[in-house]
Amino acid sequence: MADTAFPIAGAVPGGRLAALFRHLGRRLVPWLVPLAILVVWEVAARVGWLSSRVLPEPLAVVKAGVALAASGELLQHVRVSAGRAFTGFAIGGGLGLLLGLLTGSFRKVEIALDTTLQMIRNIPPLALIPLVILWFGIDETAKLFLIALGVFFSVYINTFHGIRSVDPALIEMGRSYGLKGWSLYREIILPGALSSILVGVRYGLGFMWVILIVAETISAQAGIGYMTMNAREFLQTDVVLLGIVLYALLGKLADVAARQLERRWLKWNAAYTAA
Amino acid sequence: MNIDNIELDQVRQARSEIQGLDIDVYGLIKRFGDRQVLHGLDLAIAPGEFVAIVGRSGCGKSTLLRLLAGLDGESAGEIRLDGRPAAAHKEDVRMMFQDARLLPWRTVIQNIAIGLTGSRQEVRERALEVLARVGLADRADEWPARLSGGQRQRVALARALIHKPRLLLLDEPLGALDALTRIEMQRLIESIWKQQQFTALLVTHDVSEAVALGDRIVLVEEGRITLDESVALVRPREHGEPAFARLESRVLKRLMTIEAVTSRNQIRGRVADIVLDDVLSEVRIETPAGVVTSTVLTRSLSEQPLEIGAEVLATFKSNEVVLAAA
Ligand SMILES: Nc1ncnc2c1ncn2[C@@H]1O[C@H](COP(=O)(O)OP(=O)(O)O)[C@@H](O)[C@H]1O
Ligand SMILES: [Mg+2]
Repeated sequence: MADTAFPIAGAVPGGRLAALFRHLGRRLVPWLVPLAILVVWEVAARVGWLSSRVLPEPLAVVKAGVALAASGELLQHVRVSAGRAFTGFAIGGGLGLLLGLLTGSFRKVEIALDTTLQMIRNIPPLALIPLVILWFGIDETAKLFLIALGVFFSVYINTFHGIRSVDPALIEMGRSYGLKGWSLYREIILPGALSSILVGVRYGLGFMWVILIVAETISAQAGIGYMTMNAREFLQTDVVLLGIVLYALLGKLADVAARQLERRWLKWNAAYTAA
Repeated sequence: MNIDNIELDQVRQARSEIQGLDIDVYGLIKRFGDRQVLHGLDLAIAPGEFVAIVGRSGCGKSTLLRLLAGLDGESAGEIRLDGRPAAAHKEDVRMMFQDARLLPWRTVIQNIAIGLTGSRQEVRERALEVLARVGLADRADEWPARLSGGQRQRVALARALIHKPRLLLLDEPLGALDALTRIEMQRLIESIWKQQQFTALLVTHDVSEAVALGDRIVLVEEGRITLDESVALVRPREHGEPAFARLESRVLKRLMTIEAVTSRNQIRGRVADIVLDDVLSEVRIETPAGVVTSTVLTRSLSEQPLEIGAEVLATFKSNEVVLAAA
């Protein structure tokens, strides 16, 4: 009896350990390939297969990052770029939300504005760069204008459609329970349009980074784009690469933030709580 | 003198809180563009009466309810609720729809509290109270998406009841539920109606539901009332009782003759076989499309005999035809 009890008792922690390894394995495996690439890259750079003028070794990028961070320069550039991006986003997104709510809610405003907006929408914001430079020169306003324009349409369109696709049956129900005006808006129309609005916000964030990068690369006196273009002049490929990595990180951060908003505001929707 | 008047007012108010609305509809006409849906409909319902409305789909039942709820205006004719137009009684009238129409972004209890005013605490207490009455007190803080169809309809019922309606309009509220849940809900609605004595108007496509719940069964045909039948059975009514089944088959037959007049969903054929049984019999009909089987109450077969080889018209309801990929 005692003999059979022992191996079973021993098997339990063993099983748990195996489960732990399996769990860790599942978390780690996706990172193996990127890690291998980094290692091969590092080795190739050290052995001399890769010229540092083409691609600096990963460690050099980290070192450049540390050095720039220590001098405070890095934070300064990131702050300028992020400030620029979010100011443009706030202007464009705010206007898009406002106009989308108006055209979505009032037929008259839709008739007056929507056709015009749809026409402008067909112009890619980046195609406007020469014109924008003529209007605003190459200073801050031009960049904000381009970013705001790009963000505006994705938020506008999705807000408009969000409002229009709120289930009319729910609106009728709300009316029959005495909701009207602002209370109907707050209880039914806005929450009903919210998931679509957030889709617009996420697309807008994507746009925001692309346009920011292009605008900063063309001309800037500060910011990540300025840092990389400056480094290019001096053939500092490690700093150029650092700039690229920073853009990627900031983009990812904005996307994560948007996802968090979705998870928080749409927690009633099973599609957003599952992930 | 003065005091008397105040007392009289209070009595009046107390009574109006308990009593159902009195409905009078004269010559009601509703048009949508050139399309006329209601063709001079007349209907009188006493306070506290339970009226079941049946009729083929598209005949204007929902339109009638929406006009009574003041959600839409009549094109001509008149609606009087306690002698006043429908728009004056919006607070007294509540409607339940086929889909529960709960707000997915609000919890069960928030859904019930919609349109209520008052302190948070007080609203919550009242909401919990009605929620308990429909048997869902323990689900107060869940999202509607987590509930079954029957539970959602219970929440919708609670949401209507919390306003102490004097007229409850029910637009096929049980149509999407399974048979067992449906009978449970019928009992619940009946018991609450008995307690609160509101006037109730139930649209249903299920004749047995109309017989189970209605004081009267009203048939709407092409925007008019063509049958108005009192149901003199004692409550609660059992589906198996002979008197119940007789009335059900009479109304059904009346409905079917209307449907036979229209040319949709019917197949001409010959009776090939009749399999008799105690209650339900089967009639097999040979049609160009194959054999169609019809289940008929044996009683109605004896009232209206069929012979093998007789020419018949098989008609079926469009919402009971099941489609499967071939
Ligand atoms: N808002 C509307 N606009 C145009 N036609 C409508 C509208 N509402 C209902 N109808 C038409 O009125 C007829 C009756 O509809 P309804 O009252 O919903 O029928 P039922 O509830 O009896 O099935 C239908 O033919 C429908 O297409
Ligand atoms: Mg209907």
